[in-house]
Amino acid sequence: MDRKIRVLIAKPGLDGHDRGALVIAQALRDHGMEVIYTGLRQSPGQIAQAAIQEDVDVIGLSSLSGAHRTLFPKVISALKEQNAEDIPVIGGGVIPYEDIPYLEEQGIQKVFTPGTPTEVIAQYIKQLVDPSASDVTEPPEKIAHIGIAVKNIDDVMSFYHDLLGLKLKGFEEVPSEGVKVAFFEIGETSIELLEPLNEESPIHKYIEKRGEGIHHIALEVKDIEDRLKHYKDQDVPLIHETPKDGAHNSKIAFLHPKAANGVLYELCEHKEE
Amino acid sequence: MGQEKFENQKKQWEQEVEKATARFPERKGSFHTSSDISVERLYLPENPDENYAENLGFPGQYPYTRGIQPTMYRSRFWTMRQYAGFGSAKETNKRFRYLLEQGQTGLSVAFDLPTQIGYDSDDPMAEGEVGKVGVAIDSLKDMEDLFDSIPLDQVSTSMTINAPASVLLAMYIAVGEKQGVPKEKLTGTIQNDILKEYIARGTYIFPPKPSMRLITNIFEYCQQHVPKFNTISISGYHIREAGSTAVQEVAFTLANGMAYVDAALESGLKVDQFAPRLAFFFNAHNNFFEEIAKFRAARRIWAKIMKEHYGAENPKSWKLRFHTQTGGSTLTAQQPDNNIVRVTLQALAAVLGGTQSLHTNSRDEALALPTEESARIALRTQQIIAHESGVADTVDPLGGSYYIEELTNQIEKEVEAYIEKIKEFGGAVQAIEEGYMQREIHQSAYEAQKRIESKEDIVVGMNEFQVDEELNAELLRVDEQLEYDQKKNVQNVRNTRDESKVNDKLNSLRNAARDEKENLMPHILEAVKAYATVGEICNVLREEFGEYTGM
Repeated sequence: MDRKIRVLIAKPGLDGHDRGALVIAQALRDHGMEVIYTGLRQSPGQIAQAAIQEDVDVIGLSSLSGAHRTLFPKVISALKEQNAEDIPVIGGGVIPYEDIPYLEEQGIQKVFTPGTPTEVIAQYIKQLVDPSASDVTEPPEKIAHIGIAVKNIDDVMSFYHDLLGLKLKGFEEVPSEGVKVAFFEIGETSIELLEPLNEESPIHKYIEKRGEGIHHIALEVKDIEDRLKHYKDQDVPLIHETPKDGAHNSKIAFLHPKAANGVLYELCEHKEE
Repeated sequence: MGQEKFENQKKQWEQEVEKATARFPERKGSFHTSSDISVERLYLPENPDENYAENLGFPGQYPYTRGIQPTMYRSRFWTMRQYAGFGSAKETNKRFRYLLEQGQTGLSVAFDLPTQIGYDSDDPMAEGEVGKVGVAIDSLKDMEDLFDSIPLDQVSTSMTINAPASVLLAMYIAVGEKQGVPKEKLTGTIQNDILKEYIARGTYIFPPKPSMRLITNIFEYCQQHVPKFNTISISGYHIREAGSTAVQEVAFTLANGMAYVDAALESGLKVDQFAPRLAFFFNAHNNFFEEIAKFRAARRIWAKIMKEHYGAENPKSWKLRFHTQTGGSTLTAQQPDNNIVRVTLQALAAVLGGTQSLHTNSRDEALALPTEESARIALRTQQIIAHESGVADTVDPLGGSYYIEELTNQIEKEVEAYIEKIKEFGGAVQAIEEGYMQREIHQSAYEAQKRIESKEDIVVGMNEFQVDEELNAELLRVDEQLEYDQKKNVQNVRNTRDESKVNDKLNSLRNAARDEKENLMPHILEAVKAYATVGEICNVLREEFGEYTGM
């Protein structure tokens, strides 16, 4: 996306507490957005006006004085009056949970309560502004593991465990892939040894064809499904178009080696526990 | 040499204790622990040196590190003063009377935002805000309702009011007159601290220069007519809530204090005429020992500033007296009962730091205004500290702790560095106009948020130790009907008063505003007595002074 996301952070009413508004403005800037802060004491009309003039993608309202029930919906109607109701409005501050359904009914897209990490708000805005491109534009977070094909895990254990002294995280059988795997922890990533369980296993075929050795590199990602869709839209050759279950309660999918000069990449998403 | 000075100080202190206990006898004839170990009034080093005599000394003595009274809480506990106010004056009056019955010893009034920014309830700017964060006061009529059946010569009242402080103080004086209480007998505090409004709190009206004039007018008027009233409460509370560190809180507050002293001196007052009526207002956050050290350091720095920099001679001018409120921004919406524990720690720090009065926050303040039950628990927290913990039985129990004394010294050093920096700007007013303090605070706030998100700082129940919870606690709601009723009330007042008298008084206020030498207080008092509203009075001044529009 060429254009930066533009956000208007506004303080409707007379409330002077703008620590939260300022912190969020700064955090969104750190996420690469352009943020316009209105300053204190803005009327709903002024806020709508500023949103239109500044051509923003989203408006964030902050109120800590208890006036949100009156003022937030007024911002929505001010936007309607100026034919700008397509600009989504989100809100936060000291807002009792029981008021949230009312505010959402009045057209506020989402209300964030105290304690929400700014990261969550930034992700939400990205998603809101461009649902197809949200997390997909984020690069993969790290190398989840490096997969090494071996005929027999027991035969190579002593190299990894005794000689290198790596910590064994565990064994697991993944029947869907026909493999038994061993994970060794190394820094924030790991080495995954893959041993074929039967002759149908892709690992068996790989070893037959190319011998033992590095098999694939796995990348840790978010929103694997959206990402696969996004790659497919861009004609990236995929082995799996939808994710399947992997080891350690993860979802995985392989890109075709044609996508990356013969390197086999795996995407994997670990569910938060 | 240190020894000799120490002995002299001790003798003086003993005399002062005698004088003080003659007026306010200690709470008990003697104090004991649960094991019947005797608790002394004050504990002292075995081998006092020059440094002790110089920097710590005795309670009630310069530089007041160990407290501003010779016996501190052995004689009287701090004043338990819960900030309250919501909705209409009549409703708040009921809450006040309830709190007084519950053993509270002073009143503290919260005003709604339109009142704080000088708009009447029927002003379009007030929409949605009437009665929300405090009580709505439009005219003297509302103030009469607010203090109905509360004799003003028997309570001390703290009013959180800044830009229109002169108007609300005038109303308080007028209610006193109607009750037959002379001005000289009124006690209490107005916040009246406009500089921190520009820095952190946001309820400013006029630009800095006329705002400073209003403040010095109040100093002068009160020194002559309302001598027992604290004319300003120089507030670090909101600076801290806006995200500053403990050091910044003290530094910016004391720098603002110096700006008020400078303004008063410039207007022709003598330092010892007004300095004894200056009061301070600090926050208490969770970092227990740092908070205690912060209060002790603040006292010592202010004493030095007043004595050495301004040459004040009256010891009352040297004493930093302060109110403390526990930290609103430390409370979490998640698992709100945990907030009771936070408030307890913070309140204990304030007491160990020697506060003169204390407001303890209610557990539900991250969600809404407190319910009656939450407000009661908050008050009980103070009462438990006072009556059950024994921490009030000896003066400055942590004095002499290596850690506390070192922290006190370090905070003093860092605060002084900030104050020097602000002097380079030309003082607090200039530093504010250039946005210096605002930027420093904002930077600290953002760093604190990042530490929480990376879990470098753990906030129990919020970024660690979470539970799935239904968040539907019983919360206090302000009835939306109230705004409608209050609008009608103010219109009724306008329909029944003597309109020509109001115009007359507002005109004389306008003329006075144009003459910089004129004190505005008598004119405001006259206008208030004629039932001119807060909005009308402030609008006259807006027309004359202009409005501040932020950075």
